[in-house]
Amino acid sequence: MTEEERQGLAGEYVLGTLDAAQAQAVRNDPSMATPIAEWEGRLAPLHALAPPEAPLPELWGRIERSLQGTAQPRAARNPWFSRFWAVGATAVAAGLATLLVVQRPEPPPLMTVLLTSREAPAFLVEADRGGEIRLAALNNQVVPEGRVRQLWALPAGATAPTSLGLVPEDGRIRVRAAAIRPEPGMLIEITLEPPGGSPTGRPTGPILFIGRLAPARGV
Amino acid sequence: MSEPTLAVLLGAVAAGEPSALRGIYQQQSLRLFGVANAVLRDRDQAADAVHNAFLNIARRAGQYDPARGAAEAWLAAVTRYAALDILRARGREMPSDDPALGDIPVEPEALQLLEGQENGTRLRACLQSLPEKNRRGIVLAFVHGLSHPQIAAQLELPLGTVKAWIRRGLLSLRDCMA
Repeated sequence: MTEEERQGLAGEYVLGTLDAAQAQAVRNDPSMATPIAEWEGRLAPLHALAPPEAPLPELWGRIERSLQGTAQPRAARNPWFSRFWAVGATAVAAGLATLLVVQRPEPPPLMTVLLTSREAPAFLVEADRGGEIRLAALNNQVVPEGRVRQLWALPAGATAPTSLGLVPEDGRIRVRAAAIRPEPGMLIEITLEPPGGSPTGRPTGPILFIGRLAPARGV
Repeated sequence: MSEPTLAVLLGAVAAGEPSALRGIYQQQSLRLFGVANAVLRDRDQAADAVHNAFLNIARRAGQYDPARGAAEAWLAAVTRYAALDILRARGREMPSDDPALGDIPVEPEALQLLEGQENGTRLRACLQSLPEKNRRGIVLAFVHGLSHPQIAAQLELPLGTVKAWIRRGLLSLRDCMA
C-alpha cells in the first residue's frame, strides 16, 4: 500500500464510510494508529455540526448499572469517591487553575497546586524534567488515625498509577522515581491508605487530592 | 462554581475512579447524544450508542493523550465510532431520502459553527476550498454517517465518482491543513 493509500484509508475510516469488515481491519492494524489519530484531529471540529440534544434522564442510570456489572473490585470498595466529587471537585478544579507562575530558565519546571476541600492550598508539587518530584505541604492536614497518605503519579496514557512513596507527617517529600519521567499532563494524586501503604501496589483508598502537572511559564 | 476539566476527569477514570465518569456525563451528555443522534437519527439507538460509548470511555480513559487533542474531541470520536458500529450492525438501511437530511449543515454559513473549535478555522477554510459536492459528501459522511451509496444517492452522482471524490477530497484536506 502506498503512503497515499494508507492516508486515504485512514481518512475514510475516521469519516465512517468503510463497511464493518474494512473498518475492523483498519482498526486492528497497528500501523494505522497514527494516521487515524491525525485524521481524528483534522476532522474533530465537524462534531460541532451535530446539534446538541438531551437524552432521556434515565440514560445515566442505565450506564451506571452496566458499569457496576463490569466494575473492577476497587470501585465497589470505594463509594467514598462519589462524595468526594460532590465536595472536592471544585477544589480540584481550582487547584488545577492555580498553576504557579514563576520565572525560570528553560526548561520550566512542572508544577501544580493541590487544594483542600475548603479550597485552601494544601500541597505544592514541583517536578524537574530530570525526574525529581518535590511535594511540600502548605497547609498540613491531620491524617486520620491509623492511615497514611500515599503519593502517586499517572503519566498520560498509562493505565495504572506508580507509587512515589508515603507522604511523611510533615507533608514534605522529595523523590526520584526510576520508572517515570515527569511530563506535562501527568497526574499527581494523594490517596489515603492503610499503614505501610497500599498492599496491592495500586491506590485502594479515596483520592484526597489530584492535580495535573503543567509547565510553570515565565511572565 | 467551576467544574473539573474533562482531561482531569478522564485522568481520574483512568486512575481507577469510575465515579468520575458521572462528571464527564454531566458535562458532555447533550453534546455526545447530539453526535450519536446525528449519525443514527433514532433516539433509542442514539441512547444505545452513548451507553456503549461510556462503557468504552470507562475502559479506555487511559488511552486519552492530552498532547494529541482536546478531551472533547476524544469523547466525541469514541461516541461517533459507537454510533457507526450500531449503524453498520443494522446494515445502514437508513433511508438516504430522510427529510431531516435537508437540514444538513453543509452550507458555507453553517460551517461557521466550526469557528471556535480547536483547528476549526483552518478546517473551515480548507473545506471551503473543495468543490461543493466534495465538501457535502465529506460532511454528510462524518456528521450523518452516510455510506458511499447513500452519498451518491443524495448528491445524484455515480457511486464510483463519489468514492473517488471523497478520497481525493480527504487528501486535499490533508494537504491544505498540513
